[in-house]
Amino acid sequence: MAAPCSRMANRPLWQFITNVRRTGLKHTGVRQISLSSACRAATQTRSKTEGVPSPWKLYGAVCLQRLPVISQERNPIEDQFAELMHQMELERSLLSDHEQRLLEDSERMTRKQADNYDSDEEEADYGGQETITAQDQEDTWEQKLKHFQPALRDRDVGGTPLGSVERCLGDSLVLLVQQTVGKETIWLLPQAQWEAGETLRQTAERGLSSLPEADFKATFLGNTPCGVYRYKFPKEVRTERCVGAKVFFFKAFLSAGSASQKEPFLWVKKTELQGYLKPPYLEKVDRFILNL
Amino acid sequence: MSIAVSRALCRVLSRQTAVPTNVSSLMGVDGHVSQGPWFASVLTLKTSAPLRAEPKKKKKVDPRREQMVRERLKKKLKKLERVPPELIPIEDFTTPAKYMDETRVRGAPQLPFEESERRALLLKEWSRYKQTQHRAEMEAVGLAVEAQREALEELRLESEELYQAALRPDPLLFPFNHQGPSYTPPKAQYEAPEGKYNNITKVYTQ
Repeated sequence: MAAPCSRMANRPLWQFITNVRRTGLKHTGVRQISLSSACRAATQTRSKTEGVPSPWKLYGAVCLQRLPVISQERNPIEDQFAELMHQMELERSLLSDHEQRLLEDSERMTRKQADNYDSDEEEADYGGQETITAQDQEDTWEQKLKHFQPALRDRDVGGTPLGSVERCLGDSLVLLVQQTVGKETIWLLPQAQWEAGETLRQTAERGLSSLPEADFKATFLGNTPCGVYRYKFPKEVRTERCVGAKVFFFKAFLSAGSASQKEPFLWVKKTELQGYLKPPYLEKVDRFILNL
Repeated sequence: MSIAVSRALCRVLSRQTAVPTNVSSLMGVDGHVSQGPWFASVLTLKTSAPLRAEPKKKKKVDPRREQMVRERLKKKLKKLERVPPELIPIEDFTTPAKYMDETRVRGAPQLPFEESERRALLLKEWSRYKQTQHRAEMEAVGLAVEAQREALEELRLESEELYQAALRPDPLLFPFNHQGPSYTPPKAQYEAPEGKYNNITKVYTQ
C-alpha cells in the first residue's frame, strides 16, 4: 500500500480517483482469486482422505496411572526446613488458651506448696470446685492416641510382587501388559486396534476392558490423546495399503480395580520403565508420564 | 342530595295526587293538599333532615378514609426501605479483644549468632532447591504439552472426523473427585468414631 499512496500524493484529484478505483478493483480481484484457491486446496485434501484410505493402522492405547496413596519421604533439606519453619512459627506466636491454662495451673500448684498458703482465699476465688488440670487432660489425650494403631507406611520392605497395585504407595504407577505385536510378545501400554465407527477414546476404553481377568475402573481425562507413537512395519510385512501403525495414548486415573496375580500385569514407576519398554517407544511415552 | 330532594318532591307530589283520591273517595270533593293539618304533617315527615342524612353518606367517606390511611402507611414503608442495608462485618478482619492481651505474649528468645546464620543459610539453600524443582516441573509440563500437540497433528493428518471428536470437551469428566495422599495408608475395615460438634458461627441477615 505504500507505493500507491505516494503516487496519489503527487497527482491531481481526478487521477487520484481513478487510481483508487483501480487499486480497489485490483485488491478485490486478488482476494477473490486467493479465496477460490484456498477452497480448492481444502476440497482436494478432503477428497484425498475420503477416496484413498491412509496407509497407517490406528491403535488406541491407555496410560492407566495409580496415583500415590501416601506422601513421599522428605529429603534432608526438606526435613531441616520444615523444622525451621515450625520453630519460627512457635517463636512468633502468642500463647494459646490451653498454654495459659497450663501456666495458671502450675502457678497454683507452687502457691499451694508454699508455706503461706491460704486455702480459704483460693477456694473463694475458684468456687471450691475440683477442677481438672490441663496437664491431666493432655495425659488422657495421649492415652487415647496410643489406642489407635495406624497402618504402616513402608509396607513393601519385603518386596511386594511387581504385579501388585499396593507396591510403592508413595509414587504414581503405570500399568504395563504383555501383548503380541507382530511376531514378538513385548511389554507395552494396553492397546487395541481402531474399528470404524468409534472414536479413539472408545478404542482405548475397549483396550482396557478387554484385558483378560482384570477389572479396572478408570476415569479417562478427556477425549484428546496425550501422545502418539508412529512406527513402520518391517519390510516383509509392508504393503501398499499399510505402511505402519500409529498408536494414540490416552491418560486415565485408576479409581478402583483388581486383577488376578496370574496374568502378566506390571505396575511400574516412571524410573523403572526403562527396563521393560523398547527405547523408541519409551522415548515417546516418557514425555507425557509425569512424576509430579 | 339532589336525587334525595327530587325523590322527596316526587313523594310529595304522589301524596298530593294520592291524597285527593282518598279524600274524594271519602268526601267526594276535588282534593287539595292543604285540606287538614294532619295530612301536612304526614307529608313533611319523610323529608325531614335526620332521615335524609347519615346512613347513605357513610358508604363514601369511610372507604376514602381507609384508603388515605393505607397510603400514608405505604409512604412510611417506602421511606424506611430507602435506607441502605447494613454491611455484614467480616469477622476474620477484626482481631478479637482477647488476643490483644499482654499476658499472652511469649518471651522473645535471644538467638545466638550461629543460630541466626544457620537460619539465613538454610533459607537461601531452600530457595535454590525450590527453584530447581520449579524449573524441572515447568520442563516436564512443557514436554507433555508438546507430546499432545504432536498427537493432535498426526491425528489430523489421519482423519478430520476423529480429530474433531478428539477436540470435543467431555461433559462427564467434571466434577472430578479424588482422595489425595495421606501420611499413612488407609486401613481396611476401619470404622472412624462418630464425633459431635456445636456450630457457633454467627449468621447475619440483611
